[in-house]
Formats: sequence, structure tokens, C-alpha cells
Amino acid sequence: MTRSRAEIEQDLPFAVNGTLSDADLAEFTALTESDEQLRAEFEAMSAIRARMQAEDARSPGEIGLARLMRDVDHDGAAPAAPNRTWIWQLAAAVAVAAFLGETLFLDGADDGGFQLAGVHHAETADLVVSFAPGATEDQIRTLLVGVNAEIVSGPSALGFYRLVVIDEGQAAIATAADALMAATSVVESVVDAQN
Amino acid sequence: MDDNPHQLIRQIAEGDTQALAALYRAYERPVYRFIVSRLNDPHEAADILHDVFMDIWRGAASFEGRSQVRTWIFGIAYRKVIDMHRKRARVTVTDDVPEPADAAEGAEAGYAARQEAEHLRFCVDALKDDHRVAITLAFYEDMTVAEIAEVAGVPEGTIKSRLHHARKLLLHCLSGRIGARSPA
Repeated sequence: MTRSRAEIEQDLPFAVNGTLSDADLAEFTALTESDEQLRAEFEAMSAIRARMQAEDARSPGEIGLARLMRDVDHDGAAPAAPNRTWIWQLAAAVAVAAFLGETLFLDGADDGGFQLAGVHHAETADLVVSFAPGATEDQIRTLLVGVNAEIVSGPSALGFYRLVVIDEGQAAIATAADALMAATSVVESVVDAQN
Repeated sequence: MDDNPHQLIRQIAEGDTQALAALYRAYERPVYRFIVSRLNDPHEAADILHDVFMDIWRGAASFEGRSQVRTWIFGIAYRKVIDMHRKRARVTVTDDVPEPADAAEGAEAGYAARQEAEHLRFCVDALKDDHRVAITLAFYEDMTVAEIAEVAGVPEGTIKSRLHHARKLLLHCLSGRIGARSPA
């Protein structure tokens, strides 16, 4: 079936990008031989395509891939977990610990286990908290920085995190506990770890 | 590692993160370019690119192999940008052709390649999203009309019509800015 002139003209972008079938390209080429305007437009669009392809967008590259792999690792654990919030909170805890300058390292010969670098050990926690399911990583991080506390372990099977308060003394711990309890949108519960 | 896209998708469906990394390296740049051409925000574009590949990770098992992997991926990106536009309640760019460059700009001696590229970017950005999608996929990605139709989820005739309008608007805009003679 013979195509109309308008139909053939609509093939112009695909004549430019080289994806037309041989038959359609032959039709289009024949039309340009008798239509100076169409030929001029073809040349103009070819120049535009060349210019567009010369543009180089700075994509995220390997940084984006690292981010993807990190989230895929977290995501991959989700189906096995009974509660996505729990997994999310674990991710948040790791992120918070990283933010606060902790470094995870192998502890060496004695116990062969993992320990968070720094002066505080899980056994010396001052407070035990649970975070609200809807709390974001950013909210948790901001709150902990604000009360000068660090996560030293967690979450437990029940979703509890153990914290230390950087400032020494019961008064500082009490102040931090009050501030945490006041942040009801972020923290669900606060318990003194020494009790 | 088999870099055949369909094979990569099958491996991803089985939880192979290295296959995901290979697919990412193969498609990250063109998909990002497609996204950023529609958003003009590199940070948002990076987030959407990330979401696209997370969707691929989660949805690889549902890929039936009836379409090309490339059009499947671009289709995901296409829909995510539409979602982003809806969330922003962004006002769609109109069909109005931008005003020609002002006299001072026009008086500058000559137009270097960089300036031409800026004019082109301006005019592409001024297109409606549907038009920009069609132009971007046709000229950045060299897709066939069938592939573009599949990405956008519309008939081939619609894509041809959008491209027809898009190229007229583009040439009109460029002729106004660059002062070049434009085919009618």
C-alpha cells in the first residue's frame, strides 16, 4: 500500500537516527529528492542529533553503583525478616554508628568477635531505647547527636538499642533520657540500662 | 559474566548482584541522561536512577522477555519521572515557543559550539514532557518508533505525531535563538 506524503514525512526522525527499514528509507529518500524543505529539515535534525549525542551527562557512575549495592544488600535481607521495620532500624543503626565515627573491626584473638571501636562497650550502656517504626534515619541521627549519645549495640530481638551518653555522670544520663523521652515521634521507649 | 541483557535479568532474578552491577554499568549512563533530560535536576535524577535499578532488582523475576531489556528499563524510568512530576505537581512546560534571544545576546560575535549546545538544551527543555521524551529517545538513544512507543505505552502513530510537533517546535525555537534559517 502506498503511503501518503505526510506519513512518509513523519519518518524523518527515524531516517535521521538510522532505524528505518530499507523500504521506508527508500521512500523517504525519494521524497527528499523532490522536496528541498524536507531535505533541509533532515539536515537540520541530523545536526541536532549529532549535537545531542555529543552532550555528556555526568552520571552517578561507580558511586551510584556502590549505593545500589548497599541498598540491595539491605533489601535482600528483607524477605527473610518477619518485620521490615526491624531491618530498616538495623540499617539506620549502622548508618548512625558510621556517622558518629565508629569503626567496626575484628576484636582479635581473645573473643574473636566483633566490637565497635571506641571507649564504650555494649556492657557499659547507659540507656536502652526503641525507636518509633516511622522514625527516619535522619531523625534518629539528629536526635542522638543532640543528646550526645551513641548506639553501642542493637537492635536486640525485640528491637532495643543500647546507648551510651558521652558526657559522664548520672545527671547527663538523666538529661539525655528526658530529651529522648520527649521525642515521642522518634523514640518509643527509654529505660536506664543500669536498672 | 554473560553480558547478554536477557541473561543478566535471569541472573538478577536469582539474586545475582554481580549481574545487577553489570546491567547497571551497561545502562546507567543512557538511563540517567534520559531521566535528567526530563527533570533538569541531577540530584533527583540520581535518586530516580537508583530507584529504577532497585525496581529491576526486585522485579527481574517478573520480566517475561517479550520486550527488549532496554525498553523495559527505559519504561520503568519513564514512569518514575511521571510519578515525580505528579508528586511535585509541577506545571508542565507549555507548547509556547520561547522568545528569541535578546538583542544583546544576539549581538555577540559568532556562536561557538558550546553556545549552540546551550541553545539546543534550552529548546529541548522548553518542550512538553511527551515531546521531550520522544526526541530524547529518538536522538539520544536512537530507538525505533516501536521501541519509543513501548517505553511510553502509546501507539506508534502517537509517537510519530509527537515527534512531528516536537521537531517543528525545536526548529522554531532554535531559529529564534540562533537566528539560523529554519525550514518552514
